[in-house]
Amino acid sequence: MSDLIPLHFLSRGEVAEIDQLVGGAEDVHRLEELGLRSGVMIEMLQPGTPCIVSLAGHRLCFRQNDTVGILVRAGVAR
Amino acid sequence: MPASNTAPPITVALIGNPNTGKSTLFSALCGVRQRVGNFPGVTVEKKVGQTSFHDRAFSIVDLPGSYSLAPRSPDEMVAVDVLLGRQDAVDAPDVVLCIVDASNLERNLYLVSQVLELGRPTVLALNMVDVAKEKGITLDLEALADRLEIPVVAVQANKRIGLTELKAALAAAVNRKSSPLPSPFPEAFQREVELLVESGVRPRYLAERLLLDTSGYLAAAEIPGVGRDTHSAVTEARERLSNAGVPIPAVEAMCRYQWVGEVTRGIFQREPARERGLTDRIDRVLTHRWLGSLFFAFVMVVMFQSVFYVAEPASALIDGMNEYASNLVMQWLAPGALRSLLISGVIEGVGGVLVFLPQIFVLFFFIAILEDCGYMARAAYLMDRLMSRVGLSGKSFIPLLSSFACAIPGIMAARVIENPKDRLVTILIAPLMSCSARLPVYTLLIGAFIPDRRYLGVIGLKGLTMFAMYAIGIVAATVVALVLRRTIVKGAAPPFVMELPSYKLPGLDIVVHRVLERGWSFVRRAGTLIFAVTIVVWAAGYYPRNPANIDPSLLAAQTRLEAELDKLNEAAPEVDEQRRERMVELADVQGRIAGQYLRFSVLGRMGQLIEPAVKPLGWDWRIGCAAIASLPAREVVIATLGVIYNLGEEESESSETLAQTLKKAKWEESGQLVFNTPVALSIMVFFALCAQCASTLAVMRRETNSWKWPAFTFVYMTVLAYLGAMVTYQVGMLFVAS
Repeated sequence: MSDLIPLHFLSRGEVAEIDQLVGGAEDVHRLEELGLRSGVMIEMLQPGTPCIVSLAGHRLCFRQNDTVGILVRAGVAR
Repeated sequence: MPASNTAPPITVALIGNPNTGKSTLFSALCGVRQRVGNFPGVTVEKKVGQTSFHDRAFSIVDLPGSYSLAPRSPDEMVAVDVLLGRQDAVDAPDVVLCIVDASNLERNLYLVSQVLELGRPTVLALNMVDVAKEKGITLDLEALADRLEIPVVAVQANKRIGLTELKAALAAAVNRKSSPLPSPFPEAFQREVELLVESGVRPRYLAERLLLDTSGYLAAAEIPGVGRDTHSAVTEARERLSNAGVPIPAVEAMCRYQWVGEVTRGIFQREPARERGLTDRIDRVLTHRWLGSLFFAFVMVVMFQSVFYVAEPASALIDGMNEYASNLVMQWLAPGALRSLLISGVIEGVGGVLVFLPQIFVLFFFIAILEDCGYMARAAYLMDRLMSRVGLSGKSFIPLLSSFACAIPGIMAARVIENPKDRLVTILIAPLMSCSARLPVYTLLIGAFIPDRRYLGVIGLKGLTMFAMYAIGIVAATVVALVLRRTIVKGAAPPFVMELPSYKLPGLDIVVHRVLERGWSFVRRAGTLIFAVTIVVWAAGYYPRNPANIDPSLLAAQTRLEAELDKLNEAAPEVDEQRRERMVELADVQGRIAGQYLRFSVLGRMGQLIEPAVKPLGWDWRIGCAAIASLPAREVVIATLGVIYNLGEEESESSETLAQTLKKAKWEESGQLVFNTPVALSIMVFFALCAQCASTLAVMRRETNSWKWPAFTFVYMTVLAYLGAMVTYQVGMLFVAS
């Protein structure tokens, strides 16, 4: 089991599993509706702020702020 | 609806996630047979199209694209209202047509699960099956239809494949019995929903949403049957649920995705991606920090250059048409009120505004293409870095860019921003973007009063001035956003999440349709509001036409000169030296009489009243009047300037262009020219910053649901405009003097 890290620590091409979304219930709910939820695999396409991740072949760009963040479990083989 | 039909049309509500090809499917089904309007009371765009199948007519309502049927904005509220049959303007739909992207089924089914809970007959259109196959996705269509218990039709909307089958399924679905999907929620939750339903909140879906909506949007929306009692009941229910270990609202995503997992288990497989798709390869460049920003700058330059490129030939063409029309009227009509109205009012006024139609077409054409091909989302991504510094997000970019064409669609586009504070600030600064209605002012004044100089061979001073006007708006918007974010709309920059759709070739019909739609709404404004204001301004400048106000010696001189000319005409038909002298003299006298009539008109008296206020900006009373008359709609200023300065001219010269007229205008007391470069710049800065658009303020009122914000915007922008214009003129005059 690898450690939990914030999403934006991933480097280009790295694949990880979303472990949990942290933040206000309303913001987290929105992210989940868009498909960002625990258990799904994501790939970092463009690191930075905001970053672009691929989620089941679809691209989302995401910038976390003080109130919402995504924790991922990295080091999962692609 | 075709006349041959007697049966009422089948009402279909079309709903789906953004980027699923919903607009493409709508266009493919309805073609040009669509009408765009607004849902009453809200500015949500209502698109209704017609189609038919075996003599049965369909009326298709295109609902705003949405990831979830959870109303947290006016857009989403309308979708829910229509689907529940609570929208007065639209009949409760006979069938719900839900479009999903086959390659993104899991997330799309989230919305489907909400739709199915409504219990209306539903048909699922599975779009982009070809793309899904290429991505290595396999899906058992029949098994999916069995599990969902609704018809599922594979379509490729962009290639018009599967449309006949889809229509057949829609027609067949009307009479199908349908029962709502069993609630995916845990029992404790369902019990609470049941309690709410018993207390009078109906239908069940609405009760569910009330329980789940922690954003407060539904609580604030006035829903019949939902009173204060309901809200306290909801609060108590949430507490009970929380104690029972059912987290609100997180339980929804948990339960729905669990349902999605069950529905797709064993019938939906995705091979791990073998190689990068075309979109990802393009994105390597276009979202790259430097290369992407460079490309973005290039796109913006090309876009705005094209707008200015068409400006000149188009104006020349339409100016020519105006002149031709003026000449025709002069041949047909004797001098008098009607001729003055037609030439000074209608042709100069409305015609002067239509000159800018080509530029508006070009700007909307670019925006439509950028949106439809998928680049706009990348631009928003790139801009987020800058926007987040002033407390906004990349999502504000699209509304603000649209505002360069027109603030009204821009403010409406701000609906995609979920964060209410973020959305409010975007709405408040949107009118600072130089919209296409300011272009007429810039083009006219730059053309007439900015010298044609070039630097380094290619950079023209005229172009630079135009750029500066756009820049002033952007800089002001940045400062205002920063100030607002630190004072009255405080709060941290919101998180930012946005889907980046796959690139595709823009659909020609969609682009053309959007451009025509916007262009037409501009023409309609020119034909109604601007026309009306033009006539009012003309009348205020023409009446009361009392000869008693005119210097009697001038009137006498006119009569004498006319009589002399008549005599000369009878004596010899050819123009000689003597007659030419008389004609010049007569023109001068007539010009002065016209000037006096204008000065004693309603408009003239008002103008003299405000002259002290506008003098520090370098304006004479006529410019002041034009600026005030254009408060309801700024593009009117061209018409008004035309009317005011033409009324003060002898009519024989009214066929000259407005620019020529302005160049000759003189201060009444000193006889000095009114316009010079600082005056022109001062007017332009004023127009760049002022909130002269009643429609924008009205839309702002509807979108913010309060008169407070449009009033605030009007005040802050007018103050900004006045100060900006004053500084521009005063500083400009220092340069002219030295």
